[in-house]
Order: sequence, then C-alpha cells, then structure tokens
Amino acid sequence: MAATAGGNKIRNAKLVLLGDVGAGKSSLVLRFVKGQFVEFQESTIGAAFFSQTLAVNDETVKFEIWDTAGQERYHSLAPMYYRGAAAAIVVYDITNAASFTRAKKWVQELQAQGNPNTIMALAGNKADLLDERQVPAEEAKAYAQENGLFFMETSAKTAINVNDVFYEIAKKLLQGQQVQNPQGGMVLNQRPPERTVSSSSCCA
Amino acid sequence: MRGGDAGAAAAEAGSPRSPDLYDFSDDSDYAAASHHTAMRTDSVDRGSDETARIDVVYEKERVTIHLTQYGSGRISGKLRLFLQRGSLFLSWEPNEGADSLSTSSIGVEIEKYRNLYTIKALPLSDVRFIRRHTPTFRLDYIIIVLSSGLAYPPFYFYNGGIRELFATLKQHVFIIRSDDDPNVFLVNDFQDPLQKSLSSLELPGVASVANAMSRQNSLSFTGANDESRHGTDGRHGEASSISQYGSKQKNKSNDPGRDLSIQVLEKFSLVTKFARDTTSSLFQNNSGAHAYGRQQHEYLLDNEASDKQKNQYITPEKASMPSAPPEPDPLPLVWGKQRDRPLSAEEWAAFLDPEGRVMDSKALRKKVFYGGVDHVLREKVWKFLLGYHEYDSTYAEREYHAAMKRAEYEAIKSQWKSITATQAKRFTKFRERKGLIDKDVVRTDRSVPYYEGDDNRNVVVLRDILLTYSFYNFDLGYCQGMSDFLAPILYVMEDESESFWCFASLMERLGANFNRDQNGMHAQLLALSKLVELLDPPLHNYFRQNDCLNYFFCFRWVLIQFKREFSFDQIMLLWEVLWTHYLSEHFHLYLCVAILKRYRQRIIGEQMDFDTLLKFINELSGQINLDRALQDAEALCTIAGENGASCIPPGTPPSMPIETDGGLYVQQDDVL
Repeated sequence: MAATAGGNKIRNAKLVLLGDVGAGKSSLVLRFVKGQFVEFQESTIGAAFFSQTLAVNDETVKFEIWDTAGQERYHSLAPMYYRGAAAAIVVYDITNAASFTRAKKWVQELQAQGNPNTIMALAGNKADLLDERQVPAEEAKAYAQENGLFFMETSAKTAINVNDVFYEIAKKLLQGQQVQNPQGGMVLNQRPPERTVSSSSCCA
Repeated sequence: MRGGDAGAAAAEAGSPRSPDLYDFSDDSDYAAASHHTAMRTDSVDRGSDETARIDVVYEKERVTIHLTQYGSGRISGKLRLFLQRGSLFLSWEPNEGADSLSTSSIGVEIEKYRNLYTIKALPLSDVRFIRRHTPTFRLDYIIIVLSSGLAYPPFYFYNGGIRELFATLKQHVFIIRSDDDPNVFLVNDFQDPLQKSLSSLELPGVASVANAMSRQNSLSFTGANDESRHGTDGRHGEASSISQYGSKQKNKSNDPGRDLSIQVLEKFSLVTKFARDTTSSLFQNNSGAHAYGRQQHEYLLDNEASDKQKNQYITPEKASMPSAPPEPDPLPLVWGKQRDRPLSAEEWAAFLDPEGRVMDSKALRKKVFYGGVDHVLREKVWKFLLGYHEYDSTYAEREYHAAMKRAEYEAIKSQWKSITATQAKRFTKFRERKGLIDKDVVRTDRSVPYYEGDDNRNVVVLRDILLTYSFYNFDLGYCQGMSDFLAPILYVMEDESESFWCFASLMERLGANFNRDQNGMHAQLLALSKLVELLDPPLHNYFRQNDCLNYFFCFRWVLIQFKREFSFDQIMLLWEVLWTHYLSEHFHLYLCVAILKRYRQRIIGEQMDFDTLLKFINELSGQINLDRALQDAEALCTIAGENGASCIPPGTPPSMPIETDGGLYVQQDDVL
C-alpha cells in the first residue's frame, strides 16, 4: 500500500468532505479512492469512511476520509465528523448556484467551529458540464482567496483535478507540519502505520 | 380442562418407538439404551434417600449434555425430580469422574464445565416451560426455560424417560400444553397460593413467549452450582443442603452419539457454546479486567424475574472457570426457528372470510414473520401490514376506502401541481424541496429494472409521491432516505395513490427517524446500545472502551431499515418481516444485535476503532446472510424477552409516536 520505500513515516490525516446535496462529495471520494465513477451515485446516509494513501516526494500521507450526508436536516451530525479534521474539502456544483451559497456557509462554519489549522479546499465539481455552469470560476476563485482556501474546479466524472486536490492538501499538510508548531496536534498525527488493520502484528 | 390436555400430552410424549427406527444401529450402546426405553425400566424411588425430607419422585440416568458439535464432548448425569416441603424441585448431577472421552483434548473442557452445568435444586416454580423434542430418528431431549427467559442446554435422554418425566410433573405441578406448540409445556408451581395468583396473572405473557419459542429455541444459560450463596435464603438453603444426596454414578464408557446427526447436534452445541460465552462474560467480571461484566451481573441481580435464580445459578464469586479472553465464535451463538416458506396464495385465501376479512391477523403476522410473502401477494398483504387497510375490513369496504383515498391523494397532489412558474419563483421552500427530491429520485434504485433507464416514468411517479407527501406532511417535509423507503413500495403497489398512502402509513411510525433533532434516531441507537449490553456484554464493553457507544456506525441500518444492506428482493422480505411487529415492534434493533454478534470476532479481534468500524459496517452491505441474521435476531429477541423490551422506551420508532400538543414533527423554520 505504501508507495514509497520503507523508512519514511506514514502520516495520518483526517479529511472531511462537506457540501450540498448532490454536489458530488461521494463521487469525488470514489474517484480518488477507487478510481470509479457511477452516474447515479446513491445518496449518502449518515456518513461513509474511506482511507487512501498518497505519496508526496519521500513522504506518505494516509488520508482518513469522512464523506458526509449533504442534507441540511443532517447538519447536527456534521461536527462529529469535522471535529479534529486536518483538512476539509468543501464541495459545490458549478451548475447549481445554491450549492455555492451552501458551500460558503460550510466555510463559515468551519472557520467558526473548526480547528484554525484545518486546511480547507474549495472544489467546484461537475466541471465537465460547462454548458450548464451557474457559478463563474472567477467568482469562486475570488471567494477562495479572500478566505484563505485553495480552489480547484473538479470533475469526478472525467477525473479532472480530483487527485490534484488531494495531492495539494497532502503537500500543504506536510508543509504545515514543518512550519507550524508540531504541538498544534490536530494537523497531523504521527501514529504507527496501519494502526487499525492487522494490528496484531504490532512489534512495539 | 387444560390439565387434561397436559395429561394427554404427557402420555403422548413417550410414545414408544421401535429401537431400529434409530439410525444408531451400529452403536451397540445406544441400541441397548433404546431397548431400555422400550422396556421402560425407569426407576421411581420415593423417599429412599438419606434425607427424610426429600422425596424423589423421578430419577433418570444417562441424561446428557452435549458440549460440542459432534457429540464428542458430553457430560452424562442423573436427572431427578424431588419433593421437599411440598414443593417440587429438579436436579441434574453430572457423573463423577470422566466420560469415556475425557482423555481426549476435550476432556479438560468437560471437567471445566461439569460443575457449571450442575443443577442442585431448581424449584419448578422458576420454570416457565419445558420443550419436549422427540425427533423420529434422534435422541429425545428437553429444553428447560426459566421464567427469566434463560434456559439450560438441552438434556438428551439416552435411556429414554421423557414420557415418565412429564407424567411425574403432571402429578405434582400444573402443566399446560401450549396452544401454539404441542411440544411446549408451560409449567407453574401452584403449591404456594401467592405463586399461584402471580402465575395466573402471568399466563398470557407466558403463553405468548412460549408461542414465540416454539420449535427450536436457543437461549442463554447461566451456570449452576453456587455453593456460596446457598443458605442465604431459607428455601433455597434447604434445597441446597440436600443437594448432596445424589449418588455418584459410575461412568459408562462408549457414550454413543458421535454419529448423531450433525444437523441436530450442531444446533445444540451452539447452545452450550452460547452458555459458555454467557457465563464467561459473567465471570470475566471477577478478574476485574472487564468492569462491564459487573453491570451485567448487577443487571441480573436487579432483575426481578431472575431474582430467585441468582441465588442458585449465578456464581461470579465462586466461579472456577478461567476467564477466557473474548472468544468470538465462528459458529453462531444462537439460533432461531428455521425460516418458513413465503405465504402462498392458498394460505392467503384461507386467512380470509367470504367477505374478505382477515380472520386471524395474529396468525397471518406470524406466518409472514417467519416466512415472508410470495411476491404476487405483496401488493395485497403489505396494505394490511402497513396499516393502510384494516384487517377486519371487507372487500367492499376496502374498495370504497381506496376510492376515497385516491380522491384525497389527487387533492393533495393538486396543491403543488397548481403552483405556477411565477409562483415558484417566490416560493423558495417549494423550489428547494422539489430540487432535493429531484436529485434523489434519479439515484434511487436505478439498477432495479423498474427504475432503470432514461426518462423512466416510474422515477417521475416517485418524485410526485414524495413531493405530495411533503405537502401532506409539511412539517416533516422530504428527507434523504425517504426515497429509499418509497421505491420498493411503489414497485410492489404499482399504483401512485396506494403507494402514497402506504408510504404515509409507514411514515406514521418512522417519520421520527427524519426529525431535525434526530431524537427518533437517538432513541433507537440508545435502545440498541442497551440491547447489546444485555445480550453481548463483552461486545458492549468493547464499544465502550473504544468510544463507539453512540452506535453511529449503525445509523444507516436503523434510519432506512437496512435498505442499503440487502438486495432489492431481500429488502422486501425483510421489511414485511419487520412490519408484522410480531415478536417486537423493534425487531430491527435485534437484527442489528444479531449482525453485530456475527461479526464480533472481527470487530474485537481487529481492534476496530470508530472509523474502521463504520467503514467495516458500511462495507458489509451485500455481505449479510439475511435468513441467518433473521434467525439469530429471533432467538435474541426471545432470549431478551421482557428484559429486552424494557431497554426500549415507549414511543421509540417504529412505535407510534406519543402525541403532544405541539404537533408530531416539531421543526425549526429553516427546514427544507
């Protein structure tokens, strides 16, 4: 699983996806984790959890990804999932202006409630549907800059920029780790690799 | 009258069979035993034991417990009934020393459990019922079930004698054959007038439990043999003082039975395994390593029903059994009744009177609970199960009702149909709801042929029904998960109005699942937590230690009643089983427990934390054996009995909500 040679640490990073119903949160994760795309991805009930590793130079980040239900009705469950997250991807649908409005609300909530060290990305998904665009890229980009997010338009369907978003997050996580006070704690946890699976082989 | 029934049953219980009917003819020992049965040489010696106060009225050698699947581990013993101070007691003393197989690896284990299974003096007043099993080609056996819902492992009668046992019981206690199962004998000790009145009050409950436990049953079992506690209670103290009377039996060698049907033995070995797990979970308490075991212990002590048993059967302090590490079992820990065939057209017709009334709705629900419904009948039967039709309505009444409801549906539907584009521009909530529903219907069960393909008309009907419902129940509105409930209903009904009303009926019970404050879900997950605590303390303990007690990993299971966990065909079966509310309105929670128990070995063994557990549970989708899970859940529900029911507060969905003045769905203003 670890793509890099032994010896380097695997850094675990909790990542949460937030965004409006049908923006494509689950599809982004499935594209990133399994390389798959389903036209009619069923709605997420509760939450789903995935993990995937990514190599950045000579280091490896293991993303522990929480994919959440989008409906406002389930909002009260969200803090459980974004609490302690090292990174968040706020997703909207470029063909749906309301979903962009909702994305901004998520950003506000994370800024208010989340950890200040949380790395936030804004993903304008369904970028393949240019004909139906409702949210101009410039507008989203400007919003992202104002709020210190990094921004990309993505398409889970065509895979455009999907791995890139995660890669950018991984890079920022590792940079943050070097620059910031490690006691910040929430950004990266250094745990033994493969903490959860086949822990019986633990040699410590 | 009932006594007469019982007598007849007792007489029938031991109807002699030719020894060569047994397929053990290659086992000389068993053949001999069978001849004994035929000759009926049971000893019944009265009052001949050392203590004058004891009057032994029944005694049978070679009454045996099977510890393992293939019968290689057995403990043979002596079963007695005796009177003391006018009350009837049952005892079972294992033979001293080893059975023939004790030199094998299993021998040590047998030694370990010998004491555990000993019954010193069980007052018959503590027995709820005894189930007699007289399979044609197998050993006869009985299962004794206590008032608390706990049970002993099966006792196999290698020398016959079940008929005499029941005949003797009948002479001394009041036994009633269950209406639902002729092999279930409800037992009550009426020596004590107070007991008598209590028991008579309890009878309906007893009968219904017995009914639920008909056919094969597995139950948990608490270890016997608690010397330390005897003497603290007058009656039981005396009982224990005479418990030494049993003469030690010589062991026979060559216990027969290794070629007993695996099918039968498998099941009973599970009981004993379950017994071990249950008891070991109690004993783990002693080591201090499992603090939660103590709660289970206290639970039992606090439990009124088992109050008497605690003195006799629960022996945490004196337990000699080592507290094994959690030992999840690849074999199931419990088993329930075999799944039945689905309700057929002939059977359905037989339930109806000439005017179309369902004459025995309980029997219908029972049938559906155990076997489901043939698909062609679902369209009819679901309307009753969901409460759209009354069981006692006639064909004509239902036809009229459907027509009225169709008109009502159309009226509600026209409320949103008449909204113009201009109006919609100024009606954000409508646009949002419609948008949300539009997003969900196109991704609901699209792989099912009924909903597949572009411009599928049925997808539009799904949308229309959900949007109409969000006007019918404006406070609740639309919530993700509802389309999951509606899709199979529409598939079955193939009618817009009737699907709507069936869905609306279902939401009467499950609407609280979708409340913004999540109270319905919290109530169910909390109840689930309590059920696991009751039925699998080590697993509960594990969840507690790993911060998983919120049970959010079961959120999807509970919210949409396993919709995402099974295939479309399976979910129709599962839902009709749940909707019978036959054993419990909350059978889905027992199903959760059953599935968790199935996978407890992996959960604990792999030390899953919350994240991993949620991933694991989500990935079980499509992997769960439904029939087995239902059987397990049935057994667990029966084991739990009233103790289980008391884990679930009134009003917990899918119970009908407790109505308040403020409306059923208290919502904030910004609800979509």
